[in-house]
Amino acid sequence: MSVILRAAALSKRFGGLKAVDSVDLELNQGEILGVIGPNGAGKTTLFSMIAGSIPPTSGRVLLEGKVISGASPRRAVRAGVVRTHQIVRPFQNLTVLENVMVGAIYGKARPVGARERALEVLEFCELRERAPQMPGGLTLASRKRLELARALATEPRVLLLDEVIAGVNPAEALQMADLIRSVREKRGLSIILIEHVMPAVMRLSDRVIVLDAGKKIAEGKPQQVVRDPGVIAAYLGESASATEAAAREAESTPTPASGSRAATRPTPPSNPTPFSTPKKDPGERQ
Amino acid sequence: MKLLPHWVSRPALIALLAALAVLAVLPKALGLSVYVQNLFTETFLFVAAALAWNWMGGYLGQVSFGHSAMFGLGGFVSGRLLLAPHLPFPLAWIVGGLLAAAYALVWGHPTLRLRGPYFSIATIGVGEATRLVMTYWEEFTGGSSGLSLPITPGLKSELYWWGLLVMGAVVAASYALRKSTLGLGLLAIKSDVDAAADVGISPTLMQDIVLLLSGFTVGVCGAFYASYQNYIEPGDMFGFRTSISFVLMAVIGGVGTILGPALGAVIFVILRQYLIGSYPQLYLGIYGLLLIVVILFEPLGMVGLFFRVARRFGLVRPEVQAKAAVGGAASAREGGVP
Repeated sequence: MSVILRAAALSKRFGGLKAVDSVDLELNQGEILGVIGPNGAGKTTLFSMIAGSIPPTSGRVLLEGKVISGASPRRAVRAGVVRTHQIVRPFQNLTVLENVMVGAIYGKARPVGARERALEVLEFCELRERAPQMPGGLTLASRKRLELARALATEPRVLLLDEVIAGVNPAEALQMADLIRSVREKRGLSIILIEHVMPAVMRLSDRVIVLDAGKKIAEGKPQQVVRDPGVIAAYLGESASATEAAAREAESTPTPASGSRAATRPTPPSNPTPFSTPKKDPGERQ
Repeated sequence: MKLLPHWVSRPALIALLAALAVLAVLPKALGLSVYVQNLFTETFLFVAAALAWNWMGGYLGQVSFGHSAMFGLGGFVSGRLLLAPHLPFPLAWIVGGLLAAAYALVWGHPTLRLRGPYFSIATIGVGEATRLVMTYWEEFTGGSSGLSLPITPGLKSELYWWGLLVMGAVVAASYALRKSTLGLGLLAIKSDVDAAADVGISPTLMQDIVLLLSGFTVGVCGAFYASYQNYIEPGDMFGFRTSISFVLMAVIGGVGTILGPALGAVIFVILRQYLIGSYPQLYLGIYGLLLIVVILFEPLGMVGLFFRVARRFGLVRPEVQAKAAVGGAASAREGGVP
């Protein structure tokens, strides 16, 4: 398997806060990589840097060996990396079709045939019959698919999906998961997925990385990662990590990760358990 | 018909050409008086200027209160070129427009990174600063005593057709900007500049292009106005009142549409003509009143009112109005479709 996208020692500092702290990441061709972590762990900031929306403080992002970070989202999109937004952002003044056409026209600066390409993507995302509507009238699940369709219309090779499943009902969540799989299978894309809905991440992802307080604390197969003591501590908080550390000390198998973390994390995490259905974001209006 | 790009609707093209043809023969056919003919000429001028303002304010959603800077610059550059090197006036207009466009880019490139009210406030500053500099720069503008242009006999009547030409070109350009693939990008920027950037649009580049076009056109309009009036004065050309009149015309007519600003300009010229003789300051007051009514009750202006009436009488389907609102007030109202 060849690496298509690589982030090398990517960091972002907002004043005194290290939102993302020297994260390394590799995405293989045709892979679905899950990114999980408690709220405020730096997942979306990581996405913004990969998609070119914000320049990294240090480090860089390479798509097949070419640097795409630090310039503009346009450079990333032209190269073939596109993102969706956690809070859906359709162009409210354009129809569903026109929304996707914007991606088709400007993604690769190819206005010719944009309409046909947009219609094909809408068909793929099961939004074909919604084409003439305004996005304001769509359900949240449909607006999330529109967000995905607009990104797909730019003809990317790497797709960054920011919580496209969270906030929709279980049936719609299954539909979205199927859609994401077929994006990989039928369109041959490599995908990085931020998601709070753990069952979905576990089933969709080939590999998972876990961020906490801007640092990568674990990486591996989904089943391994959820058993990682550091990950459990990040989600369950200090008390759990303390008791675990104590338990481990008794067994005399110290893990440096969880030990240092208890000291550096003053606030308890807001997401109490990795397996709970996530809270709705305040911005996700329905 | 393969001659036309797919986004040109044949009925719209025919309607435009027919309207231009009728207006072209109107003065001769009806034997219009000089007074009425001049009224038409002024209307053409303001229709062009209001539409050019609308490219920024309506399509991009960047409301400028500083367009008098380009209007004035176009006027004075062209005036100077008519006085000293005695350039033929169409050439002087174009040079005036080009310099106005260059000036627009100089202040616009940095300020267009601001959005919404912050951009608008910046443009007020630009407009007022330009007015002050120009008022004190007597070698160029003649200071507060202004600039008298050489009088060419018969020019004022000839300007009717030149005005028609300019207006026709600007209407066509408005249509092209609105309906072509470029227009889709502009509306995307208006709706959500960051989301637009994330699918590959360069908002900086697109906004600069539109400002350049808008600045050029308004500069040509200023130059036209100079030729038409034969006398220009910086306090008037660069005045805040000039800037605000572009805004008023577009908003009252229907911001973001093509027919709207044109309609607004017609109303503006007629109102001004009737009121300016008896109550010189009142016409702006009445316009302000109209503005309040429009913003409170019909954010799409006259065009919105038309659709509302047409829908009431069952003349258009409800979704037609939604389509017309595209680029109009739809995004101005916090993302809701009216």
